[in-house]
Amino acid sequence: MGLPVIILFGSFNIVAFSVDFISFYALYLVLSISLNLEFGYAGIPNFGKVLFIAGGAAFAGSISGRLAAYVLNVPTRGDFITNNFNIINVGVNSILPSVPWFVVVLVVIALLIGGAIGALFGYLASFPAIRLREDYLGMLLLGVAQFFQLIMLNYTPLTGGNQNIAVPNPYQYFTNLGTGYATLVEAAVMGVLAIFVYLYAERIARSPLGRTLKAVRDSEDAARALGKDDAAFKRNILIAASAIAGVAGALYSFQLATVTYDTWTRFAWTFWPFLIVIIGGAGNNVGVAVGTFFFALVYKGLLIIQPDLQPYLGGIDPNWLTYLLFATLLIGILMLRPEGLVKEKSAPTLSRRKLMSIVRSAGVEPGGGGQGERLGRVKGALSRLRKLLPRKSGGLGQAEK
Amino acid sequence: MVPAYLIYGVLYGTLFALMAMGLTLTYMTTKVPNFAYGSFVTLGLYTAYHFSTVFKINPYESSFAAFLVAGAVSALMYVAILRPLARRGTSLVALMIATFAVDIGFIGIFGIYTDYMQEHYPYSYPKQLPAALPGDFFAFGIQGLFFVAPIILAAITLAIYVLFTRTKFGIAMRASVENSSLAKVLGINVERVNVVSWMLAGGFAGVAGALYTLWLPGGTSTGSDLIVPIFAASVLGGLNSIFGAVVGGLAIGSSEDLVTTWLAVGVGYYAAAGLAVLLMLMGAALLRRKLRLVRRTLGDPRIGLVDRRTLLTAMGITSVFFVVVGVYMLFEMATGFGTDLFVSGLVDGYGSEVVGYQPAVPLLIMAITLLVLPRGIVSLNLGWLRRKK
Repeated sequence: MGLPVIILFGSFNIVAFSVDFISFYALYLVLSISLNLEFGYAGIPNFGKVLFIAGGAAFAGSISGRLAAYVLNVPTRGDFITNNFNIINVGVNSILPSVPWFVVVLVVIALLIGGAIGALFGYLASFPAIRLREDYLGMLLLGVAQFFQLIMLNYTPLTGGNQNIAVPNPYQYFTNLGTGYATLVEAAVMGVLAIFVYLYAERIARSPLGRTLKAVRDSEDAARALGKDDAAFKRNILIAASAIAGVAGALYSFQLATVTYDTWTRFAWTFWPFLIVIIGGAGNNVGVAVGTFFFALVYKGLLIIQPDLQPYLGGIDPNWLTYLLFATLLIGILMLRPEGLVKEKSAPTLSRRKLMSIVRSAGVEPGGGGQGERLGRVKGALSRLRKLLPRKSGGLGQAEK
Repeated sequence: MVPAYLIYGVLYGTLFALMAMGLTLTYMTTKVPNFAYGSFVTLGLYTAYHFSTVFKINPYESSFAAFLVAGAVSALMYVAILRPLARRGTSLVALMIATFAVDIGFIGIFGIYTDYMQEHYPYSYPKQLPAALPGDFFAFGIQGLFFVAPIILAAITLAIYVLFTRTKFGIAMRASVENSSLAKVLGINVERVNVVSWMLAGGFAGVAGALYTLWLPGGTSTGSDLIVPIFAASVLGGLNSIFGAVVGGLAIGSSEDLVTTWLAVGVGYYAAAGLAVLLMLMGAALLRRKLRLVRRTLGDPRIGLVDRRTLLTAMGITSVFFVVVGVYMLFEMATGFGTDLFVSGLVDGYGSEVVGYQPAVPLLIMAITLLVLPRGIVSLNLGWLRRKK
């Protein structure tokens, strides 16, 4: 028992559960936030989401192993792929704890590779995404994602085909410390990534870029009429979101310690993120965070009660009930509450505090007075406000003059 | 002796034609690509499996049951899920996600069913059948399905043709596909038309799934593996024409194996020579017609991948490239083979490696279709074949 504090809840280890939960939550939060940027904000239904995370994981996992073996001078004794287990698990992983600087470099390089591959794939996907209607786009991206899995299966130098390849374990130092430490660090690293990605997405949402994306989503023609290059916005957001997914894939490949082609199913990596975004509420980061929490709680909770459920089912794997439950849940949400748990709010321009301070600085006390007087004050404040704001955000107002 | 790839091509082509017909039918009536459609094939497959394992009934006979079961479930999916959603004004993307959700639900259902069957019939290996189901006959040393499947396809196509052109209901169907609000004004019950279309669509998938079991061992993932080629076939057929879907299905199904087999096992020299001549002809034809042909075949530029001018430039460059490559290949063949990496690689070098990428062929065809013929085969203007100079 490695961890100092262990609280037992019957057979249920709450600390291990929380660590596992955080790690799972963070991974899916990153993925759902990036899907939300594409789907919720820019309106691109990316039915090939798995392609970007799998691309990141495959290339990062494949290259980082070779890089580590080369730099650490591990003898490959033949082909890297066929002799993979010995090179990574016996050779590289035993040296890694003694060279902490290289571990950091390796992780950073792998994340960069994952991000670059994700961005590249996103750039390629933007060609059909700009030009095709949603239904054609969905079918095409679904197919392309399947195609990438086919490449992983057939092109052995990438991830070893139907054998899996091992990925160097940057957490080896913590693994050696005892049980539980490595998973804790993994969860922490994934959590840090999730926080960064969340802040980044929230920054986009509150910036003029976020409002423009929503405008492009709601009416391409109107956005174009206002001089916005809708194709460029769609392409850029697809590149950014795919790069995020690629980074998540690279980080997750370290956590998995292997890359296999059959991990990357479209159900786990395309459907679950869509489910989360729809349940939480599209076009709204808080909603996605709530949706991911709900999803992770139900998913992991069901895993815990599954052994208790097993005897009553007569040989049927309770896992299938999870699939049925989520399918029903998604359709139910679409029918009863299509806006999701947290409804999308109108895009914030300035924070309320800033708005009020501008109104005050204009010499108007909010509240008080008769109705007509109040209306006059508000109008005055608004016209002053318009002068204070940069020209761009007052586009429609200026057209009236 | 009939070569294996021909049998494969005919069977795959026929089954894909059936499936693509159904998918196209649902797309025509509701304008939603049904991502759960592959599961209806699996449903037909397991209906046949169930009848074969439990009642020892031949899949040919149980394909009727497969038609009914898959058709009923498909109609139910429309009535219980898609219609209420569409009535709420749900967006296209949300409807697509809903069909995705249905697919997930099917995974659960198939999982439960196969677990149950595993418990009671452990040696039938329901998760991934070990072999094709028994019950097929042999004629001339070839599997009977090779003859029966095309006949079934022809019969269904003929029935659909008669339905669409000779019966009042079929004409009502066409009317409601063309313009549903106008059809409603004329007193056509559009809802009934939609339900029947969805039922037929599911039924076709069910029949295809049942026949599939006679030829290849299926499993729980069969449907989700097939969904991309089915989409490709439908897109190739134009997504808006049932008979286009038949042609698309036949093309996709036969190309998947033919292309890779030719590249791999070496119809070799002939294929390379034929390809060279074909390339040259294509290049010459494109150049000579000054690309007018391409311009006429272009559909709606909004759903195409590229705009007109880019496409014309690309086709111009490609045609020159085709001619050059064709001449080069013929030259290579005349002056002794195998010296050049490109041609010898094409003929026999990549054999085994190429075969692995076989499932990618439909996707490639779909991408090319979206690039050059966004409205599918049916939009091809073949008038120039008949016109005299």
